[in-house]
Amino acid sequence: MKREGLFNEKAIEEIEKARALWQGECLRPEDLESEHLLKSASGIPLRLIYTPEDVRDMDYLRELGFPGLPPYTRGVYPNMYRGRPFTIRQIAGFGSPEDCNKRMKFFLEKGGTGLNIVLDMPTIRGYDSDSPQAEGNVGQCGVAIDSVEDMKALFQDLPIDKVSVSLVTHLPSTTVILLSMYMVMAEERGIAPHALAGTTQNDFLMETTIGSAPEILPPRHSFRIQCDVIEHATRILPRWNPVSYNGYNLREAGTDAVTEVGIAIANAQATAEELMKRGREPDSFLPRFSFFWDLHNDFFEEIAKCRASRRVWYRVTSEKLGAKNPRSHLMRFHVQTAGITLPSIEPLNNIARAAIQGLAAVLGGAQSLHVDSFDEAYSAPTETSALVSLRTQQIIQVETGVTKVIDPLGGSYYVEYLTSELERRILEFLEKVKSLGGIVTAVETGWVHRLIADFAYRQQRAIESGELPIVGVNYLPSDKKEPPMEIFRYPETEGRQRAKLKELREKRDKVRWKEALDRVRECCHEGSNLMPVVMDAVRARATLGEIQQIFRECFGLWEFPLK
Amino acid sequence: MGSVTQRPIKVLLAKLGLDIHWRGVVSISRMLRDAGMEVIYLGNQFPEGIVAAALQESPDVVGLSTLCGNHLSLGPKVVQLLKERNMEDVLVIMGGVIPPDDREELKRRGIAEVFGPDTPVKQIVQFIEEKVRGRDPS
Repeated sequence: MKREGLFNEKAIEEIEKARALWQGECLRPEDLESEHLLKSASGIPLRLIYTPEDVRDMDYLRELGFPGLPPYTRGVYPNMYRGRPFTIRQIAGFGSPEDCNKRMKFFLEKGGTGLNIVLDMPTIRGYDSDSPQAEGNVGQCGVAIDSVEDMKALFQDLPIDKVSVSLVTHLPSTTVILLSMYMVMAEERGIAPHALAGTTQNDFLMETTIGSAPEILPPRHSFRIQCDVIEHATRILPRWNPVSYNGYNLREAGTDAVTEVGIAIANAQATAEELMKRGREPDSFLPRFSFFWDLHNDFFEEIAKCRASRRVWYRVTSEKLGAKNPRSHLMRFHVQTAGITLPSIEPLNNIARAAIQGLAAVLGGAQSLHVDSFDEAYSAPTETSALVSLRTQQIIQVETGVTKVIDPLGGSYYVEYLTSELERRILEFLEKVKSLGGIVTAVETGWVHRLIADFAYRQQRAIESGELPIVGVNYLPSDKKEPPMEIFRYPETEGRQRAKLKELREKRDKVRWKEALDRVRECCHEGSNLMPVVMDAVRARATLGEIQQIFRECFGLWEFPLK
Repeated sequence: MGSVTQRPIKVLLAKLGLDIHWRGVVSISRMLRDAGMEVIYLGNQFPEGIVAAALQESPDVVGLSTLCGNHLSLGPKVVQLLKERNMEDVLVIMGGVIPPDDREELKRRGIAEVFGPDTPVKQIVQFIEEKVRGRDPS
């Protein structure tokens, strides 16, 4: 049923006439000839100005509506930031759990409202700190976690029954172990599962596509573990998001906004279909799905991306997955500003870049936010640069006034046009993935990898040619030598982690430990849900690396398809 | 210069150890090919694997990419292992997120050059060509 558009035909006709006059009398011919040469960052041709003509068919109630109601374009909650401000969730992650614990306390003392933990590479890829592969990487770029004892030290004295915690676990295979460690830590502290609020990443594209590694599990097995974690956690952790479909790292690796959202939603849809095959009702797990976007430089397109992604997700959950519970339709997402856009040259300029990207996230209706630090291209943030990021969030939240009114750019002819155009392109992308046999197959064949690599290559060429301007780098390049700046140095961590592991391995009950690991191995082959047996292994003080090694042995390794 | 057709410069590229960020190295690998070089991208490798591949391929250049903080421990190890196998002529260069002080340290320990973020690839191409062609007798 076609409802009346926002503008009646007579009004549009008058606007068209006025436009013709304006074009004829006010514009130069070259303005019109070059009109469509400029494009958005994702390649949408842009007009000089947008008017009601460009949104003449828009059906307000079907396409925009009200926040908290379908199709959720204007926001997932009826009162948005008046009801609950976005969560200030700055990343912490370096050194030992004891070191990282201090940084988290620093954030909470300074007004952070959520925790966000990144892990070092050995932990991300499932190696213990004393394994040969971990050499040189322990406690670098993230915190080292080897056992449940480390998880206890990481959250020592932190109010995890009150503050939500994001564990940036990347891979499903390490998520199943790390979330188990988190739950066993809470269990041993006497905190009930229903009190735990937070998010694990758990995205099989992080295991197989976005990050490369010497040893990678095959996509199909990684996808199975991703689904296992979601299946189990949605039964026992009512306030936990067991997955954060990661558009962010796709974008950082090399995609445009359409592909970023398209791949994440394709993965979410595939997960839902798999869990439905396993006998679960969509409304029993969809309310716990969450998403993760990268807010890049193209300000209005990024805001439109947030709005369009909510609308697409509603279409998918209601039309394709048959969800009925309103909470199943809500695309709740975390945002991190775009690290890839922050050069090493004139680093203080990055404060401006990150602030503008953070502002776009809030105008786009994000649920939580991390603002990158200006020293991104040098090392992990110092306490000084981390505080600037935290303060940037607070400035957006309480000084600018942008949180007072919901979806303040709703109704902008331009933003609405972009939102509809991005929606159309994302839906088209989803069809493309479907035609390739679904997201797992698209990963197995290397199609997604090539898409990313081609984009990254084109971007690099555009930077080299100056077509993509970066202030101070290829646009008005800085000719001054950088003044020395404070750079974060990672504390020595390897030795301390090794000592703790040695003690753990000596003290644990070896019979119980071995039996628990044997059950993990059996479960890998049987195909039943891995999470309960992994939790038992964690209780028996099995380490991350020991459990991951069983996955490698049972599932085999996969060759990364880029040469 | 301007001599008869030279064989292309051969470059072996690797992601160092456990680093997961492949965007830079894969883009550079293509751009070095655009510049006429022969490039073999090994994916993620530890120093032993990189040197084993170098023994087999006899490259002019080994390029190591890392953004995750293992540059000081694993980078010089590649140089040392190459030396042990009598391949000290191979030019070893690095790129990625590497703090300026560490760049100096890496150069002291045998890395020919360290390219930070924002380095135009043509600068890397020029560096390789000068170093490799410069010492070619032809």
